[in-house]
Amino acid sequence: MLKYFISILVITISLNLSSQENDLLDTIPIKTTYGVKLGIDLSKQIRMLTESNYRGLVITGDYRVFDKLFLAAEFGSEEKKITNEILDFNTQGSFLKLGVNYNVYKNRKGLENEIYVGFRYGIGNFSHKLNSYKIYDLDHYWNQNLANNATDFKNLSASWVEFVLGFNAEVLKNIYMGLSLRLNRLLNQETPRNFSNLYIPGFNKVLEENSLGVGISYSIFYEIPIYKKTKNK
Amino acid sequence: MSKMKKAIILFVTSVILNSCEPDDICLTTIPDTPKLIVVFFDATNGLKKEVINLKIKGTNSNEAFLFRTTDSISLPLKNIEKTTSYSFIKEAEENMDNSGNKDHVLINYKYKHIYISRACGYKSNYNINQIVIENDNTNWIINSEIIESSVIDENTIHVKIFH
Repeated sequence: MLKYFISILVITISLNLSSQENDLLDTIPIKTTYGVKLGIDLSKQIRMLTESNYRGLVITGDYRVFDKLFLAAEFGSEEKKITNEILDFNTQGSFLKLGVNYNVYKNRKGLENEIYVGFRYGIGNFSHKLNSYKIYDLDHYWNQNLANNATDFKNLSASWVEFVLGFNAEVLKNIYMGLSLRLNRLLNQETPRNFSNLYIPGFNKVLEENSLGVGISYSIFYEIPIYKKTKNK
Repeated sequence: MSKMKKAIILFVTSVILNSCEPDDICLTTIPDTPKLIVVFFDATNGLKKEVINLKIKGTNSNEAFLFRTTDSISLPLKNIEKTTSYSFIKEAEENMDNSGNKDHVLINYKYKHIYISRACGYKSNYNINQIVIENDNTNWIINSEIIESSVIDENTIHVKIFH
């Protein structure tokens, strides 16, 4: 799944980059729209269809402050049940991400597309419920290797940063479609006693070896135009 | 622009590399649940003493855990029960059920499950409360002593048995 998104992203970016070089400077002043974009991250809904034991809803939006700079925010909640040979647990929680996008794409006259780089600061509150776990015992004489005592780990929190690379394309008037890829780095986490934050809503899967993670978003936005401004060269 | 392309390639590569999950494998170098280390001593001179043809069989278990002449053994304890009991049979014959001198040994303890990692799960640590040698009038085990009550690794002697 991720591979497809990556290849689409790479192809789109390289196409846009090469077409851009043919663009000549335009001398006519261009009016450009400033507004608020509100949307939903549909990658969560797609994930709900393809992945069992996952539920998520993420609302996303941005506000154009300067010609190339957008303030961006996302909030949502996720629920995930992880069941494997070793562990069986549920994680649920909500999160908020704030940050900026910087548009690096030079639009042709009248177009409002974006290829952006950005970052987010994310905070999340979550809890885990450990249903059962395996006891790592290489000796199988007694074969008592599964513990079923359910344990709750509540009121946990974490914060992280995300480096974002993505694009938003105006597909219809005021309707945008956007895709982004994220590299996350965990800054701080409240580790539960005798367990670990293996999944953090908003951050995604947490590796115990390092504090890096990955994410993806696929969003549909509606733009509420606020005012128009002449673009300065 | 080529600078930016390089940056994009670097970013995408790092995302892909990071999606590979190195911590999904439980490495064999990570210690598992420790066993109880039991060493046999001579009751008269306090030196290590082998038990001839020692057969160890868990109570209610169909198969023997061990059969050999030795002065030290490592016994697995049950992970979700507070008592594990074994038959210690001296001078046993391997395939004969009622051969040798059989002593019942009960080990009472508290257990705790300690989180290791996503790939390894948990392991047990134990705290030994009591070793009971059931009296059957023909005991070959004379006495036992808990040397280290907390069983967190297999590097020390936990229990001494005198015979």
